[in-house]
Amino acid sequence: MTLLSQRREVGEFKKRYKWMALVVLGVFSILAVRVIQLQTLDYDHYAAIAQENITKTIPLPATRGIVTDTAGRVIASNRPAYNVFITPQLVSEEDIERVAELMGLDPEEKAVLIQRVADVPRRRRSHQIAMFTEIERDQLAALETHGQELPGVDVVAVPVREYAYGNLGAHTIGYLNEVSAEDIEGHPGQGYRAGDRMGRNGVERAWESYLRGRDGYRRVLVDARGTVRDHTREERAREDRREAVPGRDVTLTVDMELMRTIDRAFRGHPSGAVVVVDVRTGRLRALYSKPSYDLNEMSGRLSVERYTEMRDNPFRPLIDKTLYESFFPGSTFKVITALAALEDGVFDPVTRVDCPGFFEIGNDRKRCTSAHGEVDMRRAIVASCNVYFWTMALEVGLERLNRFGRDLGFGERTGVGINSEASGFLPSREWYTNHFGRFRVGYTLDAAIGQGNTRSTLVQLAMAYAAIANGGTLFVPQLIERVGSPDGQAIEEFEPRVRRRISVGQEHLAYVVDGLYGVVNDPNGTAFDARIEDGVPVAGKTGTAQVQRSRPRAGLDPGRAWFFNRDHAWFAGFAPAGAPEVAIVVLVEHGGGGGRYAAPIAMQILQDYFGNRATAATRSGSSTALARGAR
Amino acid sequence: MATLVRGFRDQFDWALFVAVSAIAVIGVVNLYSATSAAGSGLQGLYIQQIYWLTLGAGVAVLVAAIDYRVYERTGWFAYGIGVVLLILVFLLGNTIRGSTRWINIGSFTLQPSELMKIFLIIALAKYLHNDPKTDGRTLKDLVVPGLILVVPMILILLQPDLGTAMICAFIFGTIMMLTKLKLRSLFTLAAAFVLSAPLTWTYLLRDYQRGRLTAFLNPEADLLDTGWHAHQSLVAIGSGGVFGKGYMQGTQNQYRFLPDQFSDFPFSVWSEEQGLLGALLILGLYFFIILWGLKIASQAKDRFGAVVAVGVSALIFWHTIINIGMVCGLLPVVGVTLPLFSYGGSSVLTIMIGVGLLMNVSIRRFSF
Repeated sequence: MTLLSQRREVGEFKKRYKWMALVVLGVFSILAVRVIQLQTLDYDHYAAIAQENITKTIPLPATRGIVTDTAGRVIASNRPAYNVFITPQLVSEEDIERVAELMGLDPEEKAVLIQRVADVPRRRRSHQIAMFTEIERDQLAALETHGQELPGVDVVAVPVREYAYGNLGAHTIGYLNEVSAEDIEGHPGQGYRAGDRMGRNGVERAWESYLRGRDGYRRVLVDARGTVRDHTREERAREDRREAVPGRDVTLTVDMELMRTIDRAFRGHPSGAVVVVDVRTGRLRALYSKPSYDLNEMSGRLSVERYTEMRDNPFRPLIDKTLYESFFPGSTFKVITALAALEDGVFDPVTRVDCPGFFEIGNDRKRCTSAHGEVDMRRAIVASCNVYFWTMALEVGLERLNRFGRDLGFGERTGVGINSEASGFLPSREWYTNHFGRFRVGYTLDAAIGQGNTRSTLVQLAMAYAAIANGGTLFVPQLIERVGSPDGQAIEEFEPRVRRRISVGQEHLAYVVDGLYGVVNDPNGTAFDARIEDGVPVAGKTGTAQVQRSRPRAGLDPGRAWFFNRDHAWFAGFAPAGAPEVAIVVLVEHGGGGGRYAAPIAMQILQDYFGNRATAATRSGSSTALARGAR
Repeated sequence: MATLVRGFRDQFDWALFVAVSAIAVIGVVNLYSATSAAGSGLQGLYIQQIYWLTLGAGVAVLVAAIDYRVYERTGWFAYGIGVVLLILVFLLGNTIRGSTRWINIGSFTLQPSELMKIFLIIALAKYLHNDPKTDGRTLKDLVVPGLILVVPMILILLQPDLGTAMICAFIFGTIMMLTKLKLRSLFTLAAAFVLSAPLTWTYLLRDYQRGRLTAFLNPEADLLDTGWHAHQSLVAIGSGGVFGKGYMQGTQNQYRFLPDQFSDFPFSVWSEEQGLLGALLILGLYFFIILWGLKIASQAKDRFGAVVAVGVSALIFWHTIINIGMVCGLLPVVGVTLPLFSYGGSSVLTIMIGVGLLMNVSIRRFSF
């Protein structure tokens, strides 16, 4: 090869090199522009993703506040339970086999587990999915011991609400269950997350914002596999952390010992309710509704079957009969009629009315409980003579009766603050006209004895009797005594709240109270047979409220229909009669006669209550309670 | 002898040496960070890389020292050795992740397909050197060089190693562009390529490769599976910003969001930790080496030297732009290494031999 030819050869490519260099320049320019774009224009976007990649927010759940009764007995508290979470992405089939083995699952349960893990959608497979809740102690031990071998399986301690009294006072206390998507939407800004639990009834619901506290969180750095990194000191200092604020403790005015007493006294009766209230403060000492449900079951995993069973139970365990439902108060309402008459001076208490055992109005003949003969107001209350009150009702009229009834708190909510309280009902002349086309005087007669369309809740009735007992002060029923911090310090103490003073003369009250004393203590009183000799003196009124004939209901055994057509038995009163401390209302649903069925229960409750208190007082060296109780 | 040494010193290509050394050193430094993540089990990898670079440097010196006309004479022999090694892969090779690419030599594993790129360049250079045709080449003129390409390429595709086969084809194409092609031949080749694309899709590509392509075309569709690598790489580069997160501070790297950060994604690691300035520095170095390679080619004394220099430049060029294009989300994910920056013995050795060849041609631009 000659030098010349070599030169020529090289020259032949000269142009090509320039083109190639140009192409190289072009391609590298594209790469450079792309890198510049990524690292300047798109920087914020990718920096945010990179940060999010390595941060994981671990919630620090707040402990829910404790609920205690007035004596400090714990009603609702928290205990740790252990849930098993599985991260599908991190577990192999052998891992799942191992979990099943460690937890002692039978083949069927194992198949369910395998299916559930397989069913987790792809975008959730890197998440921890709850597979078992509240595992047994031995399962926990097995999983903890061998947990290291199973990186995709986590046992997490979660607090579970525990109700020490089971079904006692269930309606008042309430329960928790998991929030729904609607709940989360309906409470924006309150930090509810899927899986959180929320108060569903009673105090747990109404005082949710106090009891719940505020969850905290910890932001930790994790790698691509979700493993939390060992933090350097510097990282720890930077760590974003908010401590959980524990919920407030709530002390109720309710006395759970008294609740136990009531439950004992109610044995043998399937259905009913009791309210006990302190007449001096309006503090509710007992709200009892039977039948009830177990809060631990309700708060845990309630099966659909169990719920259906409760919903269809003819005794209506899901209903709070002290507040949510209203009833015809029957003869317990007669004292309101009496007071209305006395207050407006339309009827002289010494006026005597002859009771032949029936009352004729128009073509209608209404029957009395018996032929009482000549009765004055006291006698009429003691023996519960309908004829007397009917006669009086014609004089008093519906307007006056309603006005006084409203003054005593009937027909409007008492404001206790839980369980969508019913307002009760005092039917007016207009209401009757609208409803039945025209007003009849017979409606007034029904209203006077707490029948017809007059309805009251047990709490309303108890507050009214408390007002009668304390000389005319109508309190707002109080259920919450105080709110405290977890270290036991009171944050807020609630004072009794007076709703209003009833415009009623003391002599009129005294007259009626004397009649109520007679109901229990006069030999011809309707509750005389129920009184306890040498016990705490009780004053009160029995009632026997007729029940609207129930149509045959689906699921109700026709052989048992007779029971549901029986009257409701009432007793409303207070004790000790001379210096009243508590008012009580007892309703035995379909119990029959008030004197025979409700009064004995009330007597026993009051006897036990004051007896216990006397014992307690004696033990503590004070005898004032005893002295007062024995008067 | 003395004149030879003096001549060598005067003619030594310092620019090439400095640029290549810079990339190699930065590569090792970056590799140290890329493999330092706790629990990755890769901590010792940068030492291995240093061994390979040292060995590669030795081989490069040897390659540069021998007059390249020796390679021209032994071109077919070298090419033959390459093909035999590729056949041996099927007999002795070990399989990793479904591909058979490696032969064990003692405690080393050798990837013959990497070395084949060099043998291919030499063989093509020899063919063109002996066939000094100056008119445009027709399709008929492409039959022999085409065969030179196709024999090893088929063997490589059978492993299968699509990335390397593709690089071989691109090098071939670049070298053919250097000599003249008739416009008609060019169009025919282009048409053939387009027509073969569906066939490639159906028969040549495996499921995971098809997945990578679809993930590239629609990256948001499945971030957790196929699109994951590409996405995390973009996040790494983008979050580096202008100044970077600092050496060893890249969270995408240190927290193991970057897969294969030592082999396929070292540029992402570097860009995350050193930012735009670092990224442009590396781009600049590669750009310089490639242009320098073209300059060497343009000054070569004969056609063999020119073709070898262009071939080596093309080798570095295609590796670089495919790898960086891939980690920047401009190209689908293919396992193509970044020269001297990626971990890998055969890859380092191949590039170093290539650099040795460049140096060889560069030094001898004034001799004979």
